[in-house]
Amino acid sequence: MNLKPGKHVVITDFDGGEGILVDLNTKKYYQLNETAMVVWKGLERGKTMNEIVADITAAYEVAPDKATLSVQRIVDNFQSYKLVGAA
Amino acid sequence: MPINISDLKGWLPVDAVVVEGRPGLQWMELPDVELSEPFLQQTVERAKTDGTKRGELFTEFDVLLQLENVLESVLPTGFIFHSSRCGSTLVANACRAMANSIVLSEANAIDKLVARFFTDAAEDGVKVSLYSVFLRGVVHALAQRRRGNEQHLFIKFACTSFAQLERISRIWPNVPWLFLYRDPVETIVSNVNDPPTWLLDDDWRVLASITGVAPSEVAAMSLEERCARSIGSFYSQAVALANDQSMLLNYKQLSVPVISSVLKFFKVSPSAQELETIARASGVYAKEVSGTRPFVADTDAKQKLASNLVREMAARWANEPYQQLEQKRQR
Repeated sequence: MNLKPGKHVVITDFDGGEGILVDLNTKKYYQLNETAMVVWKGLERGKTMNEIVADITAAYEVAPDKATLSVQRIVDNFQSYKLVGAA
Repeated sequence: MPINISDLKGWLPVDAVVVEGRPGLQWMELPDVELSEPFLQQTVERAKTDGTKRGELFTEFDVLLQLENVLESVLPTGFIFHSSRCGSTLVANACRAMANSIVLSEANAIDKLVARFFTDAAEDGVKVSLYSVFLRGVVHALAQRRRGNEQHLFIKFACTSFAQLERISRIWPNVPWLFLYRDPVETIVSNVNDPPTWLLDDDWRVLASITGVAPSEVAAMSLEERCARSIGSFYSQAVALANDQSMLLNYKQLSVPVISSVLKFFKVSPSAQELETIARASGVYAKEVSGTRPFVADTDAKQKLASNLVREMAARWANEPYQQLEQKRQR
């Protein structure tokens, strides 16, 4: 299932690659590290999980299986906090 | 009531407040008001009493993140930091004389957010990031292009904010900054004769952080000691952090050509007409809203007024870093 960021979520870049998300419904803030930002930006652009994994392996020295696990964990977190929904 | 974010164009965050336990911002509808007074809060007071009906609104900080995507804004041109009572308002007024500039002078919303770094986020990396984003957002909102032709943005911070220079520079790493200072005895005399809020504030955590002691110790200090230790800390900070992106300026150097050199340091070239305006502004007392009270250099008067306690405190806490700063400036 493809996912996309919720309309109730606002993101801002900070400190060269990191970011802050705010859920406007709950007024909760989340700090994203560089990898989570790549995932979020990928979802914003409608990319699939595989495409996001490819972005990460291209940008960082990381094996594809580790990148896949990392992306999956981040997406699971986004889902559990209801920050993303079905595209 | 939900807010339509784009409706906040022309509104400025005029204060950082806590309403019913919720920290956030007080906004005022100011689409047409020039920020022409020496301090932003003086402009806000004028707007409140000029007979125009203006909207006021409280929002939480998340609005700032949304506004960053909506408002067109001017990026900072230069920062003015100071050790208090040392001519920084004169420099800010000179910046205001430049066409198409915005000068945010000791804006409550900015300096209160900076103060949160002391009181709320000292050891908490997440909160530091959060308040950094809010600070950037507040500046973005205050520096919105309300007329459309604004080109320069100068921010004069409250003196206590200088202690958070590193965090401020992390948000805007390429913005040149000025540190203006004055002889410690004269500075203490001025502050003791007419104590500013920052020396009297009941929340001693800010000065405790600046002076490196417990809040209860700050509360127990004489005004002279509190001031001496604070400005000593500002001088030391300037000695430690001055670099090729900074300019150090002593009150005794202030003149129209020197102010012009500050503007050039900020990469802004004043025209002949703007220099005339600066020269006129330099002849009046910088903090006077009407701009008519003549400026009188008061170095001798301040020295004569200094009590033994003032001199003792200056000698104990501020003279050495002041001399180091002077050496650094003259190198």
